[in-house]
Amino acid sequence: MLALGSVLGGCRKLPFSGDAAKKGPPSLKMFEAEVRRAMSMNLRRMDLVPVQMPGRLKRPGASDENRFGMAIDLEACDGCGKCILACIHENNIPLVTEDDAAKGRFMHWIEMRGGVPFMCAHCGNAPCERACPTGAANHTPDGLSAMMYKRCTGSRYCGANCPEHARKFNFNDAVRQGLSLKFNDKVPVRDKGVMEKCSLCLHRLQDDRLEVKAAGGVWRGRGVNTACAEACPKGAIIFGNWLDPDSPLVKAARRRDLYAPEDLAGLDPSVVYMMGGK
Amino acid sequence: MKWSLFALFALVCAFFLADLLLNRVAEPTRRGDGAAVPFVHALHGDSIGLPCSACHTGAYAAARAYLPSKAECMDCHRLPLAEGAGIEALDSALAKAPEYPWSRKSSLPGHVVFHHGVHRTAGVACTDCHGTGYEKDVYGGEKFDMRTCLDCHRGGVPGNRNFRAAVHCAACHR
Repeated sequence: MLALGSVLGGCRKLPFSGDAAKKGPPSLKMFEAEVRRAMSMNLRRMDLVPVQMPGRLKRPGASDENRFGMAIDLEACDGCGKCILACIHENNIPLVTEDDAAKGRFMHWIEMRGGVPFMCAHCGNAPCERACPTGAANHTPDGLSAMMYKRCTGSRYCGANCPEHARKFNFNDAVRQGLSLKFNDKVPVRDKGVMEKCSLCLHRLQDDRLEVKAAGGVWRGRGVNTACAEACPKGAIIFGNWLDPDSPLVKAARRRDLYAPEDLAGLDPSVVYMMGGK
Repeated sequence: MKWSLFALFALVCAFFLADLLLNRVAEPTRRGDGAAVPFVHALHGDSIGLPCSACHTGAYAAARAYLPSKAECMDCHRLPLAEGAGIEALDSALAKAPEYPWSRKSSLPGHVVFHHGVHRTAGVACTDCHGTGYEKDVYGGEKFDMRTCLDCHRGGVPGNRNFRAAVHCAACHR
């Protein structure tokens, strides 16, 4: 009786809670097809305005040594979309259901806006973080707008407060619905009801930081690159440290004209676009 | 009707009670319980001048500390350390031991990063966190949670050296 009771009482997962229509894992082809589909829909465009080169973060506790960011070379980029697929593989980004896809609600952290990749700009003065009621959306001292997925309760205030709608919400339970593949063991798969967005490959920075600090060095994030920048065949996406004069980012952006989407330009974005100059 | 309702209520209560009483967290196990010769840290550590990293090869520099394989035990135990025949019981126990005498799936969740090497470089001693593991050879009984980390990272562990470290979320969480 007691044994039966413990079996029943200890049964935390109900036997009926599994998804009845569980399909097999998705194929790689499905991810590629979804990227093509998302690029063909091309819903939004950007109005770019000139900005200054990002400097030290204007917030208490900010690092004097590191502020990570990216610059996207509009003259080199031909909008091939390889960055989107690389990002999916790096960050375990799930597919979406047919209904969502028809509405253009993809989970891709990078999307093409007017033929140019757009991702979270990691604004120094991020409006999304101020709206978060649980502190899940937070800023690191080195300039990343980070998400703590386990703290996110899915209020979606952050998504509503981002002027460029860079954040993506997990409406689906991607694992159970067979929409997700764990490509990369270093990145956790997000649950249903959790907001996500470009993390600037936070895990790569964390791993490098720990390795460098374990060896007793000063960490400037040298040698780290994001998945999208690595994948770009034209070298149009350049990742680096805005506060490090030897960073490839600063070297590339120094003599160029920098731009940011109009509604982010006043929010001190870390990810900018560059054109002209040279 | 009344009695059947009461019986149902009692049954439900019994289930909850059984759940409470019987579903306990697994007790820590002393390693070597099944083995002929249990492993004792005290015989291998400071007493013969071995650092932790002699067996836990990643403990001083890598993210994971690792548990030794049998091959690593044999690196020392096969060598003629001293004149004489050796200990019969120990030799036969080592011969019978599996290739990986200890295996441990890390209980660190996927959204948390922990790097042993960084803590070592910062001056944290292994026994600051693994005191019971080392002294009592208890395996799997240490309870680490975020408070354990934060107490130290905020510099407020009484009787301990004052470690202060990053406490922003993304320092440890991804």
